[in-house]
Amino acid sequence: MRRRVVVTGRGVVTAAGLEPEAFWRSLMAGTCLLRPLRGFALAGMEEFLVGSEVSLPPQDDPSTGSGQALPADIHSDPHRARCVQLALAAGRRAVRDAELPADPAFRRRTATVLGSTMAEERQISDLTDRLVARDPAAVDGTLLARADNHRLAALVARQHDLGGPTLVSTTACSSGNAALAMAYDLVADGAADAAVAGGADTFTRAVYTGFLRLNALSKSVCRPFDRRRDGITFGEGAGALVLEELEGARARGATILAEVAGYGVSNDAYHITAPEPSGDGFARAMRQALSTTGTGPEQVDYVSAHGTGTPYNDLCETRAMKMVFGAAAAAIPISSIKSMLGHTNGAASAIEAVACVQALLRQEVPPTANLTEPDPECDLDYVPGTGRPRRVGVCLNLSAGFGGFNVCLVLRRAP
Amino acid sequence: MSAAIPAAAVTGVGVISPLGDRPGAVAEALWAGRTAFAPLPDAPGAAAAIPDFDATRYATIRGLRLYSRPTRMAISAVQLALTDAGLTGGAVPGEGLGTVTACTLGHIETLLEYDRSVATQGPMRGNPALMPLSLPSSPGAAVALSFGAKAFSMALAGATAGLDALGLGARMLAAGRARVCVVVGSFGLSPELALAASRAGWLAPAGDPRPFDRRRDGTALGEGAVAFVLERPADARARGAGLRAAMAGQASAFAPDAPATAAALERACAAALGEAGAPELGLVSAGASGSVEGDRAEAAALRAALGRSAGDVPVTAPRSCLGDSFDAGGLFQCLVALDAIRSARIPPIRGLEQPEPEGLRLVREPLEVRVAHALVTTTAPDGCCSAAVLSRIDEG
Repeated sequence: MRRRVVVTGRGVVTAAGLEPEAFWRSLMAGTCLLRPLRGFALAGMEEFLVGSEVSLPPQDDPSTGSGQALPADIHSDPHRARCVQLALAAGRRAVRDAELPADPAFRRRTATVLGSTMAEERQISDLTDRLVARDPAAVDGTLLARADNHRLAALVARQHDLGGPTLVSTTACSSGNAALAMAYDLVADGAADAAVAGGADTFTRAVYTGFLRLNALSKSVCRPFDRRRDGITFGEGAGALVLEELEGARARGATILAEVAGYGVSNDAYHITAPEPSGDGFARAMRQALSTTGTGPEQVDYVSAHGTGTPYNDLCETRAMKMVFGAAAAAIPISSIKSMLGHTNGAASAIEAVACVQALLRQEVPPTANLTEPDPECDLDYVPGTGRPRRVGVCLNLSAGFGGFNVCLVLRRAP
Repeated sequence: MSAAIPAAAVTGVGVISPLGDRPGAVAEALWAGRTAFAPLPDAPGAAAAIPDFDATRYATIRGLRLYSRPTRMAISAVQLALTDAGLTGGAVPGEGLGTVTACTLGHIETLLEYDRSVATQGPMRGNPALMPLSLPSSPGAAVALSFGAKAFSMALAGATAGLDALGLGARMLAAGRARVCVVVGSFGLSPELALAASRAGWLAPAGDPRPFDRRRDGTALGEGAVAFVLERPADARARGAGLRAAMAGQASAFAPDAPATAAALERACAAALGEAGAPELGLVSAGASGSVEGDRAEAAALRAALGRSAGDVPVTAPRSCLGDSFDAGGLFQCLVALDAIRSARIPPIRGLEQPEPEGLRLVREPLEVRVAHALVTTTAPDGCCSAAVLSRIDEG
């Protein structure tokens, strides 16, 4: 018998806010946060460096946190360890929001599962620069520890003395959702009683230059489902949820914010970057999400889209919605908050999961910003402009990653 | 779950290693205590590389030559495992095939090459063919794409990710999310990674890792990939496949600080053994690699986890011959466990002359003994601990 899994904590670290309510108000108002970047530079590419930047307050300096000592490079070089800092900031907020018991026995049974597309890629670009400059000390003894993306989860676990399974998902831009899915299984199966799970990512040279060369970077701004959409705009950030087994959460008097009912997964096995054009991969993940959680298609009240703003993704996703829901697809709100935050890569689906929790709590759905000229081929209800009230009982959180990694998480109202 | 009704059976094995590309060849080398370590060219320490590794000998895959060395090794091991399981040529439809890939550092060489093109030629001149292969997700994406795995493709990072991947694959299979799941762990050498390991002080300066020996002073590196095909036993039997062993239990735990490592590994062992139905162990295939602290913590964890039988259960440490191969390491240890279950032969710990841990039966000479259940353990420097239990499946 599988155990029921609920959400008891939210951590959100975005340009829209560092607390769930402020984040939600910003999203609901349709505030687009995509601006020229100040904290990330790439000579010769200035015109393309648009995105949403997080400003971390001083209390998110890891050196002031509780828990065990963290590696020196996190203190001494905040720029290079930016992704870890974002993850730590989200983890700390989620743990605090959940009022996670300090009891060591509880913390030993708490898992940490994070995902990231690039993690600390800045460490590698830094190494490249030193190799190119023929610096004999370019390769130092900390490289292996820094290049191992597992440290993203290990450092969050260390900061909160968490002793459960500690995993890192690397399924590109669905990594956050994959982490939440794995954490759901660990708690549902009894391998852990609680989990801190989500994702984090920041701006990297490889992603900006690479997406430009793949013609996937917007030359204006992210406009999901709009006729003029021309690609991705990036953002940085992190999102995390605390998941707990239902009975244990009730017994300790935790505030139960939502339930994670389960998930669906699929893989396109189509192309190293492009999604399968028919939408079949998205559709299979959604169908599995519905069937394995006993959710009828008519019960779905909101879909948080992957909605990157590339011509092919948004069309694929629209097709998949029609494959799964048929004519009823037009009546289900589906929006992309990437229109406001940009694509935060491995953090995106974790931040979107926090948005789904807010939608369930507030009985509202967030909008798609920058959508003003509808695409005749994208003809669903994308909630253009600003958010709106809506009875929300079940949300699907849909995500995909380069290489065809599709994950669809099912969240529903707190039991 | 008990070994009588295991959730996942191993039906195919593939290996790419400096000691051979057949499980039997690797077992023979370990039995004889052979290694392939060679000194690093420019730093203290040693590594075992696969000379003239050529993935096209194993797999005919579009775009293969663009993939990084560890990715090509992973694809080769998966091809060998599917062939071993009799599942090539469309025997399993894509919708029924899932993959779990553990190849943490598999993107680094491509990322460095891509990034060098940007650093030297300008941000608008990056090589677009290399960029998607520069992502940490690329080994997993390439594995799934190469074999048309459409059920799912999961990917994990971390030095214990190989064993974690095995557990994840078994759980995804048990949940009915695929009919066949291939799990692969891979690590490929590069000059930068070898130099970094040496400069971190991880490597034994003389190139001789001595797991559990008093004189141990570090490990050596060893590249390679190991893949396992997992199926539900009923499905495997229905198609007449051979069942090599059951993947009977797996669990992970984390040590927030170094002194907590032994306790964390003990918890992982207890949980994995509990899942497997508390079987009577015939072998521990340990992750000990010559690390001063890591081996000590593992020995303490094993004493605690084995309890009264600690002095009786043979403990071997394949990294004495294979070196540390990161994500592939735990799966190499599983390979040793599978061979012991099949052939009743346990390879010795090479170089072990002055055993440090007390209360453990460390295998110093080749040992012939029947093994029904084996425990496999790994720890990582960052605190991650993982354990798995493999069990004999008695036919009939």
